[in-house]
Amino acid sequence: MTPEDMRYLLVGAGLFILGAIGFLTRRNLILMVLCAELMLHGVSLSMVTFGRIHQTNEGQAFTIFTLTVAACEAGLALSLVLALYRKSHSLDIQLWSELRDPDVPGPKPDEPETGSGATGSSYGEIPTLTVAGPAPLEPVAGGR
Amino acid sequence: MEWFQKNPLALAGLVAWIVGILMLMPGRKATSVRIPRLGLLVTAAGVVLFCAGVGGRGPEFANEVMFWTFAVGALLCGVLMITARNPVYGALWFALSTLSTCGLFLLQSAPFLAAATVIVYAGAVIVTFLFVIMLAQQSGAAAYDHRSRNAIPVTLASFVLLGAITLTLHKSPPAFSKRDLKEEAKVEVAAAAPPTGMMMVSPDNLPKEKPASKPNQLSLETAKLPVGSMKGLGKSLFGDYLFAVELAGTLLLVACIGAIAIAPRREEGAL
Repeated sequence: MTPEDMRYLLVGAGLFILGAIGFLTRRNLILMVLCAELMLHGVSLSMVTFGRIHQTNEGQAFTIFTLTVAACEAGLALSLVLALYRKSHSLDIQLWSELRDPDVPGPKPDEPETGSGATGSSYGEIPTLTVAGPAPLEPVAGGR
Repeated sequence: MEWFQKNPLALAGLVAWIVGILMLMPGRKATSVRIPRLGLLVTAAGVVLFCAGVGGRGPEFANEVMFWTFAVGALLCGVLMITARNPVYGALWFALSTLSTCGLFLLQSAPFLAAATVIVYAGAVIVTFLFVIMLAQQSGAAAYDHRSRNAIPVTLASFVLLGAITLTLHKSPPAFSKRDLKEEAKVEVAAAAPPTGMMMVSPDNLPKEKPASKPNQLSLETAKLPVGSMKGLGKSLFGDYLFAVELAGTLLLVACIGAIAIAPRREEGAL
């Protein structure tokens, strides 16, 4: 194993670790599925490198099968996410923590967030204007 | 540990990487505008330090430049993806990380695999994910995207695992050089002359007197076909693994039917 091969293996390991961190920390269902795909990328890179170390095509052939399974997994995961979304109307994974065993402690409730993210807007702080003059008329449905 | 003591750069890179991820992770107390940029800088510095600490020196300059660009790009885009507040941005960072990984595939002489990955991931998977995100999150950023679960213990444990992998890779002696493998392959061919395309290793196929350190039969070097050529890959897929290819096609069909069956119907109500 040459140092060049080792670098590729390390990058593969890094991608796998990043995917694992994201899968364990994020609460969005779709991002969790994406993080699983990132872990698959790391493994694919490692397998291609192994195939190159051994000078065979088997690593690449196996990675192609991994790609096939990943495509199946993405399709099934998305339809499952949609089915879950119909039940809970949210992509939050913690809404499904009621499926846990009765003796397992549940997730901690969210503490109110401090800082600019508390407004719930992704734009950060939005300046507010002082109200001046009468409020504009609401548009009437069907009217002018 | 001695290896890390000899290479403090890699250890410093790991530490900076951890700190940067923790700074970028949603739900930390300080969410002013300056902190994410600082976390981004720290993460980038950590990735670069780690790569510089663990990396060996390659032969060619152009190869080096391409490898470092793709490696740092893949890892950095991965960090940005797992810390993105907005899932749409997360999906787009994932697409960038996929493209960088495909660059690494190309450098590892796997052009067909790189093209297939770009088509499957960037072309199909990301588009489908973006459709679902837009369908499910029409109200914009949600509160749960601004928080993370158990960020500190998970990140620390994962990076302990990465450090262990790094140590193991650097400690393990080189298994064999390619020259040894070639010689052993020659011995193997002379001794047994296995039929081409033979996948099942039954006791009858094995040579009677096997050499002491015989490599795996599946990893024998195919002398005529270079690694990564379309011809070699096609021979491997449609020769050795023909049954598995048929099975993969069946798996795709079954997954397609399953996805259609699971996905909510239109008459069951809109999302």
